[in-house]
Amino acid sequence: MIGSIAAETLLLSKRAATWVLFGIWVSLAAFFGFILPYITYRNEDPGTPGAVRASLTELLPHEFVGTVLGGFPFFGGVLILILGVMTLGSEYGWGTLKTLFTQRPGRLQIFAAKLVALGLWLVVFVLGSFLTGAIASAVIAMIEEAPVDWPGPWSVMRGLAAAWLILAVWSALGVLLGVVSRGTALAIGIGILYGLVIEGLINALFDQVSVLRPMIDVLLRANAYSLAAAVGASTEGARDNGPGSFGGPYVDGAQALAVLVLQLVAFVVIAGALLRRRDVT
Amino acid sequence: MSPKNPILDNSIARASAIVDSNGAIGVPTGMREHAPDPGRTAHDLVIETHGLGKRYGDHIVAVDDLDLTVYRGEVYGFLGPNGAGKTTTLRMLLGLTRPTEGRAIVAGAAPGTPDGLARIGTMIEAPTFYPFLSGRDNLRILAMHAGVPSSRIDAVLGQVELGSRSGDRFSTYSLGMKQRLGVAAALLKDPELLILDEPTNGLDPAGMAEMRSLIRELGRGQRTVLLSSHLMNEVEQVCDRVGVIRAGRLVAEGTVDDLRGRTREWLQVRAEPLEDARHLLEGDRRIDTVEVVEGALRVEMDECDVPAINRLLVNANIAVSDLHWERASLEEVFFELTQDETKGEPA
Repeated sequence: MIGSIAAETLLLSKRAATWVLFGIWVSLAAFFGFILPYITYRNEDPGTPGAVRASLTELLPHEFVGTVLGGFPFFGGVLILILGVMTLGSEYGWGTLKTLFTQRPGRLQIFAAKLVALGLWLVVFVLGSFLTGAIASAVIAMIEEAPVDWPGPWSVMRGLAAAWLILAVWSALGVLLGVVSRGTALAIGIGILYGLVIEGLINALFDQVSVLRPMIDVLLRANAYSLAAAVGASTEGARDNGPGSFGGPYVDGAQALAVLVLQLVAFVVIAGALLRRRDVT
Repeated sequence: MSPKNPILDNSIARASAIVDSNGAIGVPTGMREHAPDPGRTAHDLVIETHGLGKRYGDHIVAVDDLDLTVYRGEVYGFLGPNGAGKTTTLRMLLGLTRPTEGRAIVAGAAPGTPDGLARIGTMIEAPTFYPFLSGRDNLRILAMHAGVPSSRIDAVLGQVELGSRSGDRFSTYSLGMKQRLGVAAALLKDPELLILDEPTNGLDPAGMAEMRSLIRELGRGQRTVLLSSHLMNEVEQVCDRVGVIRAGRLVAEGTVDDLRGRTREWLQVRAEPLEDARHLLEGDRRIDTVEVVEGALRVEMDECDVPAINRLLVNANIAVSDLHWERASLEEVFFELTQDETKGEPA
């Protein structure tokens, strides 16, 4: 199993797309999390009606965990969904699944190794964005001559764990879509469509029908935003999050954690079962 | 081509290859099911299938009631036209495809289980690797999965003579290099059983010759090779024993010589005047049939009567310019065996 995990980690590391996604994600986290809000803060006219007053506090080191985390439920999620799709879907496209499945390990061991490698890479994505956020917030603090007070280690750890879980669920959805569609293009299309449009529509529609309203509590984005909020992300920021905006309703942090873990398990189990049962052509 | 163990192979051929009621060489299921040769035991069976079948829906039968036996140390040719069910069979033997009927034991284990796969090297259809990795890195990934020491990578790259280009990306390889990398990957585990599906596909004549030579080399000793092909000359040059599949069913099994020897043999006669020769031979009781094919007579008869027939023609003042005994080529045998009975076309 160790050999398979090492092989899959090496495979993801050697793949240019992994680094491209990592670069895009870190850049987005820095730009939308810190650079753009800071430019807005420095240049907006407080007298302009309807102007959104950017908060300097959220850009400083003490709040950086919540600020970075705010980008995970949607932007980070959709981006990492692509990585999830690539992890399994590309194997169908290249026909390499049959090459892998005729080596010594069984199908489930190879699947597990792929998931572990993906999980390790998610750690890199999370650490990269948090490190970028920390540096950006420290630079802003220096420019503004504000105090550089870092959050406590417990806050950082909770933020890292929540960020990893949110990415893990989105990437597992990507893995499932890749396995179901036996490819990448359709899976990425459906995944992005779900993240951008479908869940928002379902959310809005179910919110108007009382009998369907509880269903909102099990949606991926709603729970991801709820978990991020429970760990310090701004709900105001989520409301103004462009195409990924989320205005609630928020669920309790513990409930969000439980739902996300269940979703992660469900996506992995269904994908694993399909991979194990289906013929490889 | 000479079998590695003529005694064993001949006895298998005697026991297994018979002519069925349609004139095609066939092997009765009962004889095939369990090691037909008393000289070989169940221990010598490397591949054994019983009633193996694969159906897609109610109408498509890819493989039907297939009983296959491959013995340790032999190079077994799995011959059939495109679409006959060869690749589906190989996929079932490797656990890539689940059979809908029957069962198989491959390298002492159920298909697709780690125990069996550890002893099998394979290349199914076109070799498939990660295009963004070099040949060497592709092998490295596979070696890590299979628990094979990395020292094997250089050994197999050298074996297929790909060492100098092993650092280049797989996507830049020619078809021949891809095939060679596929064979290298198959050899990585130093397997007891090699399953190769049309390994010379896409190769130029020199590449094909090299590949066949390599396969013959690999088949020496105790290693077993199952080679799927639709090329008769390939099988003829490389294999000890052959199974012919048509429309998902095994229609013949035996040595190449056996398959060829049990189909039609005839006396080829070129003579002038041809019509007189034909009339004369048709009236002779020793002759079974006479037909004119491409300006010559094709005479089916007992081979021991050839001198007498020659005398008969000469005594009748017929000028005989050519007289020789001919056997059907393997290609003709293959065509006969794989001919669709209803359409008269290869199945």
